[in-house]
Amino acid sequence: MKIKSLLIANRGEITIRICRTAKKLGIKTYGIKTSKEPNAYYLTFLDEIIDFSDSLEDIPEFLDVERIVYAAKTHKINAIHPGYGFLAESPYFAQRCEEEGIIFIGPSPQSIYKMGNKTIAKQIANSQKVPLLKGSHGNLSSPKETREIAGKIGYPVILKAAAGGGGRGMRIVEKSSQIEKMYKLASTEAEKAFNDSSVFIEKYVRNPKHIEFQIIGDKHGNIIHLGERECSVQRKHQKLIEESPSPALDENLRKTMGDAAINIAMATKYYSAGTVEFLLDDDNKFYFMEMNTRIQVEHSVSEEITGLDIIELQIKIAQGEELEIKQKDIKMKGWAIECRINAEDVQAGFSPYLGLIDKVQYPRSKNIRIDTGITDSSVVTPYFDSMIAKLIVHGENREKAISNSLNALNKFWIKGIKTTIPFCKSVLMHKKFKSGDFNTSFIEKEMRLLYHQDKDDEMLAAYLATFDFAAALETDRTTHIDFEQGKNISPWVLNKRLRSL
Amino acid sequence: MKLKKSKEADTEYIAVSSQNKKYKIINPFSENIKINSKKVDIKIFDDENGFTYILYKRKKYLVEIVEKSQNKYTVLINGVSYTFSIETPISYKRKKYLDKNKLKSKIELIGAPMPGKIVDILIDSGAKVKEGEAVLILEAMKMQNEIIAPVSGIVKKIFVRREDIVNKEDVLVEIEKQKS
Repeated sequence: MKIKSLLIANRGEITIRICRTAKKLGIKTYGIKTSKEPNAYYLTFLDEIIDFSDSLEDIPEFLDVERIVYAAKTHKINAIHPGYGFLAESPYFAQRCEEEGIIFIGPSPQSIYKMGNKTIAKQIANSQKVPLLKGSHGNLSSPKETREIAGKIGYPVILKAAAGGGGRGMRIVEKSSQIEKMYKLASTEAEKAFNDSSVFIEKYVRNPKHIEFQIIGDKHGNIIHLGERECSVQRKHQKLIEESPSPALDENLRKTMGDAAINIAMATKYYSAGTVEFLLDDDNKFYFMEMNTRIQVEHSVSEEITGLDIIELQIKIAQGEELEIKQKDIKMKGWAIECRINAEDVQAGFSPYLGLIDKVQYPRSKNIRIDTGITDSSVVTPYFDSMIAKLIVHGENREKAISNSLNALNKFWIKGIKTTIPFCKSVLMHKKFKSGDFNTSFIEKEMRLLYHQDKDDEMLAAYLATFDFAAALETDRTTHIDFEQGKNISPWVLNKRLRSL
Repeated sequence: MKLKKSKEADTEYIAVSSQNKKYKIINPFSENIKINSKKVDIKIFDDENGFTYILYKRKKYLVEIVEKSQNKYTVLINGVSYTFSIETPISYKRKKYLDKNKLKSKIELIGAPMPGKIVDILIDSGAKVKEGEAVLILEAMKMQNEIIAPVSGIVKKIFVRREDIVNKEDVLVEIEKQKS
């Protein structure tokens, strides 16, 4: 069935990203407006807005399965794209769509369920002879059991939420005395984030690389991969900079890992886009970690090097079309790097920086792609993820991609809030990052300063503050009348006035 | 009546950073700016898009004043913040005097590093805590963050309860320092 209308059950940059492809394919887009950001930028890209502002439910709007399904039905919408949110990995949601005759853009509920449950996913990987880390191979019932198994595997171990992802519900345990505390932290966090408190443990590989493969499959049994992504620049398991390809892989390893990823997907009759995540240790041995059964934030770097539109593929596959491309058609061209621009204060431990974005100005060039969810006067609210935009830069090789990214970051101007831009600059300029020899401990172990600072920055800051202060003093001295009545006036306007006195 | 421009004498300011680094700035408005006795050529511009930038040594620096209260300033240079207090030569002398005679406080307040919800309190009032020990769990943007005691001492007061919503820098716990 041809999809003519699409409900995008998400917000921010991913909604805008999906709208772009939907427009290209002539599909009418519907989206959801919430009372938490009634003037959000993504709303301006939609053909029709469904208003959820009156929601009094405890469940956040984008997690309200029944209301979303009901909205799609009453507006006679053909399909739903969940973006990369929680619903994208909810087998229940996919099932409900199916029951109501709405096309869910994503894999089958069965695939989501199997791969979403980490214990089952591991069994599947094991059946395909894909290497796994030692672990509990099942959910844990108590700290006591955890301690027993941890003793067998050997410390350090990592506690993970069975239904988890994105670093939530994950705790590293270094010694047996920490088990009680970490078990409690991980399971309550898992309960909060995923409504499922079950956790499991596995051997913790110190300082691995995080490598993932983009998979795409159709409903006719064809599955290919679009190469790997290097996602080792992470802080507390949150990815901050991703690139494709990875400097750690050669053709051989790429083929072995790519085949492993495809085999895992094949075993669940997977269709749509998905990502198979691996850990790669110091000896270049890889281990299956998990599979994400959805589009991911960093899908854009794979698009930039393969020239494919993954959202378009997802929509066509959902319509039942067969993949036109074969594995041999996939050519990785050049290098692409994605910097996540988050509204965070790097100097205050990456804490969320809320507030009004006065102005934003993007760098422009042929090799720059910006997927943004904000514009002038957008507000960063505490209700949603802190990512406000993604900067994706291409280069003919890694070195070029890095220098192009730095140029772009220098011209990426935001006024009103603090962002991760100074952090991204500092990573891209780091010797270790440039060398390609880095792993997930990079930020913690290698970075002395988490933000980039030019040598004259502090002096210029001192000057700016002094200038403003002196201007205010000067007005007091020369006029004696506070014409502005204490109103905040730009020191530069003030300066001009002073000069013309 | 015509107002006279005070042009004759040099005007001097001292910007003191939060790490106590000093910048002596002379004649900030003039063509003859001196910073730490060196002549510098700095210009400030407002562009047509509403951004303010400094031009220095042919490089552009995006700048913004994010906070000011009396002589205390927080400014951003290319997205990184710096905090200064701006002093005149007279007020600087006074500040130095006051700093030297400041009483060393025994009380340490733990503030919220970010807005969020208190999901767990791990200590009781009156309890002994060690530096580095977790005292609270604060949930923000769906992540659970441990709030750590910055010093060893005795918990004098807990200002929050479970499920409380807190803002950034809200005081959470008061600790009386003790030598460990």
